[in-house]
Amino acid sequence: MENELQRLKAEAEKALQNITDKANLEEFRVTFLGRKGLLSSTMKQLGQVPKEDRPRLGQLANTIKKAVEDLFLDKKDAVESGAALTAEDVDLSLPGRSLPFGKLHPVTQVMEEICLVFEGMGFAVAEGPDVETDHYNFEALNIPKHHPARDMHDTFYVSESILLRTHTSPMQARIMENQEPPLRYIAPGKVYRCDSDITHTPMFVQVEGFLVDRKVSFADLKGVLSSFIHRMFKEDLPLRFRPSFFPFTEPSAEVDIACVICGGSGCRVCKRTGWIEILGAGLIDPEVLKMVGYDPDEFSGFAFGLGVERIAMLKYGIDDIRLYYENDLRFLDQF
Amino acid sequence: MKFTLSWLKNYVSLDGLTPDQLADRLTMLGLEVDAVQKLYEGLDGIVTAKVLSVARHPNADRLSLCEVEVGDEVVPVVCGAPNVRAGLITAIARPGVRLPDGHKIKKAKVRGEVSMGMLCSWRELGISVDHSGIMELDSGLASGLSLKEVLDLDDTMVEVDLTPNRSDCASVIGIAREVAGFTGQKITPPVAGISELDGSGIDFTVTIEEPELCPRYAARKLTGVVIKPSPWWLQRQLMAVGMRPINNIVDITNFVMLEYGQPLHAFDFQKLAGSSIIVRCPRDEETTFTTLDETERTLSPEMLMICDAERPVAVAGVMGGLDSEVTDATTEILLESACFNPVSIRRTARNLNLPSEASYRFERGVDPNGVPYAMKRAVQLMCEFAEAEVVAGGVDEYPGKKDLMQIDCRVQRVNELLGIDLTPDQTADYLRSIEFGVPGSASDVLRVTVPSFRMDIEREVDLVEEIARLVGYNEIPTSQPFIGMDYPRRDPLRVLRQESSAILTAQGFFEAINYSFVAEKHCDMLGLAEDDSRRQCVKLLNPLTEDQAVMRTMLLPGMLENIRRNINFQQTDIRLFEIGKVFSFVAEGVQPDERYQLCAVLSGARYPGASPLYFSDDRADIFDVKGAAQTLLQTLRIQGKSGEIRFAVEPDQAQPYADAACSLCIMDGDKLLGSLGKLSRSTARAFAVKQDVFFLELDLEAFLDLPRLEKTFHALPRFPSVKRDIALLVPENISAGELLQDILTHKIEHVVYADIFDVYSGKSIEEGMKSVALTVTYRSAEGTLDDETVDGFHKKIVDSLMSRFHGRYREGKK
Repeated sequence: MENELQRLKAEAEKALQNITDKANLEEFRVTFLGRKGLLSSTMKQLGQVPKEDRPRLGQLANTIKKAVEDLFLDKKDAVESGAALTAEDVDLSLPGRSLPFGKLHPVTQVMEEICLVFEGMGFAVAEGPDVETDHYNFEALNIPKHHPARDMHDTFYVSESILLRTHTSPMQARIMENQEPPLRYIAPGKVYRCDSDITHTPMFVQVEGFLVDRKVSFADLKGVLSSFIHRMFKEDLPLRFRPSFFPFTEPSAEVDIACVICGGSGCRVCKRTGWIEILGAGLIDPEVLKMVGYDPDEFSGFAFGLGVERIAMLKYGIDDIRLYYENDLRFLDQF
Repeated sequence: MKFTLSWLKNYVSLDGLTPDQLADRLTMLGLEVDAVQKLYEGLDGIVTAKVLSVARHPNADRLSLCEVEVGDEVVPVVCGAPNVRAGLITAIARPGVRLPDGHKIKKAKVRGEVSMGMLCSWRELGISVDHSGIMELDSGLASGLSLKEVLDLDDTMVEVDLTPNRSDCASVIGIAREVAGFTGQKITPPVAGISELDGSGIDFTVTIEEPELCPRYAARKLTGVVIKPSPWWLQRQLMAVGMRPINNIVDITNFVMLEYGQPLHAFDFQKLAGSSIIVRCPRDEETTFTTLDETERTLSPEMLMICDAERPVAVAGVMGGLDSEVTDATTEILLESACFNPVSIRRTARNLNLPSEASYRFERGVDPNGVPYAMKRAVQLMCEFAEAEVVAGGVDEYPGKKDLMQIDCRVQRVNELLGIDLTPDQTADYLRSIEFGVPGSASDVLRVTVPSFRMDIEREVDLVEEIARLVGYNEIPTSQPFIGMDYPRRDPLRVLRQESSAILTAQGFFEAINYSFVAEKHCDMLGLAEDDSRRQCVKLLNPLTEDQAVMRTMLLPGMLENIRRNINFQQTDIRLFEIGKVFSFVAEGVQPDERYQLCAVLSGARYPGASPLYFSDDRADIFDVKGAAQTLLQTLRIQGKSGEIRFAVEPDQAQPYADAACSLCIMDGDKLLGSLGKLSRSTARAFAVKQDVFFLELDLEAFLDLPRLEKTFHALPRFPSVKRDIALLVPENISAGELLQDILTHKIEHVVYADIFDVYSGKSIEEGMKSVALTVTYRSAEGTLDDETVDGFHKKIVDSLMSRFHGRYREGKK
């Protein structure tokens, strides 16, 4: 009986190999696996073998039946699918079917990236009003009326004392006057200057940030901003700090990065200097601290501000700032 | 501030510094160099030439045929200049040379005569604007010499973008001081040692009526003045920094202003009534004044004027008057060197809209102690180049005289703020290098005397900055602040905006950002009612254009402009959204209310940008925008305060710019959260959009106050569900949504899902009726429902629908 089983198995394997259509497949099933098929008939003979051989032969019979069934099912799948799909029938070069998916504005993308870096360093995000008072936009930042530094801000006015903020720095005063150090904040938002040409739009997006605590130094400012720039652009990007002037910081600095367009060899974008200015910063001026009631001998801090469009331009190679606010889909779809 | 290297070299040695190195050092000291420009670059091939003979051109009346000596050669040149004559030394551009304007000189035949080059005017060589004839050079010069060398034109112009605090560097000497500081030199000023002017022995008087506005006023008289052009070296320096030479007196005042940073003014002495100068504000009747640019200016009472005995003769520190201007006939001048109050000058220059080189400097601060030096220098130059004789004596009124500022500088504080470690001696040396006074033996607290020209230094922290920039910002180490670890609380509104943006982009919407200011006419274009609160715009006092004159009260108009623009550029399938602030007027002189809103617009194909192979070019319709809104609300899990948020037809609340038959309000009870719909034809026309536009407007900020459906787990069903469909004929005026709502609100037992799957009217359906097909799914949590039980529940639903909506049973299937 053992031989009989092995022979049936070999026979079934051979028969399956030659089968190509469904009719033959059904014939095979009836012949070998059907209720009155060869395997069943053979297994019925189990009753007649000696008692001591029965368990072993029974097990063998089941194993062989299972094996033939598996082979049959494999063949069945192959015959059925083969009928529907062959490589010639499906043109796999056709495009994938995708549903429409929109994108965030490049300014938002870059702003979120900037915020993410600072949030990772523990800075909180705060926003303030776009329409500001002269007090917060200027006076509280040590820019009195008739100070020449106001020339740096071409201001849109709503009334004598109300204006469109020219920077997001007013948040420094707004936050400091209500909280005690240590403070770490960034303030992203729209700012406005009445200036419109190929390099200026009357509205743009700025991120202001500041940190105040005991014993905060210029070296700390350099450390935090260097980390930011390296995370934002690339790790080994050369950068430099150089003296500048802002009424609300002292000492004041501007930060340049090696031109990302020409790599520092000099091009139109960097005015052939090899450097590109990307942010303004400085230690918060003691006058600003005094105005919010902090003792400048006890607390110190640094502040910085950067233009998001400018960073997006450098990151993506955008060469015309006016494109940002035209919302042309051919532009928005590129980022 | 522009200067040339040849000019700067007069006061400080630049040996060992290339122009680029100088620029780099200045930049790193806080004097940011904007441009380093080689001057007269195009002049390399131009040489001197001597005209030997001049003859009439045989074929042209106005041209001359010249023989010109260029070194060893004699060449024929055709010339059209009126001043060409034998013996003239001039400049020639020979064949092969390119002029500064790019024109290349070729050997040519001019009306039949050979010309081997071009004799040049000053303008043709880009040296000055003079184009009256060819250049007339020193008659002693040989021919064939490099013009650049002869005229000493090998020079470089440097432009510094001055920050408002560094008024001291609005002068070549100021720049020289900085250079001296980092090269370890002392500057060599052009004049030294000043004599006291006590007002005796002169035939004029000076009275300061407003000492607060005029801390110092010095004046001297010069006679025998001959007005003529300035010498070449002086003209050249002025032109190189962008100033037009006028005559020797005016040029000298300008030159000394650029040299010392001290604006000067020269009056024609004979035109000063009563031989007196009075520094005062205008009298009531003095309402206008004509400045030397021949413009009549309107005066206001607080403007400081320089007056003679009768009337104003100059706007102090801003511009002189036409009547007392130096002219070719002038022989006596009164030279003014004075200081004025920065705020006063700034106001006056602003109010007159008359920024000048003088006002630029006075606004930022001019060192009163520099007044007599600039005066002495100008007198010296006028004597030399205008044949002037100075009248002995003069006036020097100095009511605002102050002691030099002294500041205590704690070395430890400097080190703490900068994160460095300087000794007191090092600190003192840095300060001394830029002429700050520090006593010999340095201690922990330095008593620093600030030179009078550094008007920006008033506090210890100002000294800290000086030390920082002298040490070099890049030499200061980097460190990280020690600050407690914390992850700050996130602003819920910002999070809501981020979530909403993500949901909308996932539905194919691109984010737009528009200007916060818009055209006021948008309100009319949208057809807003006269009393619509959105017409209450915050207006800008000084808008750039009418199209950006008011703060927006809604987002939609900007997005409609975006649609128009995109269609113009053949982008007709559009899904855009914006989340931004709108501004509502509160009261005059008060900040407006600012609120974040959300607006989305759809137009064109339902699946923009999708492959036409798979997607039909179906047009988007109101259900696309409704679906976007529903997905947004569901994904945000926003609930109404009064239960479900409803999308309802509310004729009272409908937007005037929406198609009346195709718009919905998004309601929380009676509260309007937003609206959506199809833009009316008239509004679309007003925005020049021809295709259908669908919009969604949401008061996003209101969502912050609404409850959000919490995420809670429900056990997965263990028993199978049973599905039953219903098809009913109902009168056409019954909306399908009502039928669905009826099923859902009656909460019939075991109903877990219901929806509409077909709405049909027309063929085979009787007039006035429509067929609505619904599907309902039943399931029990306790066991498998048998058909009988489900039939019972289903019958209840069908019966209820039929009786409530006067419907008729059409067919049912399992």
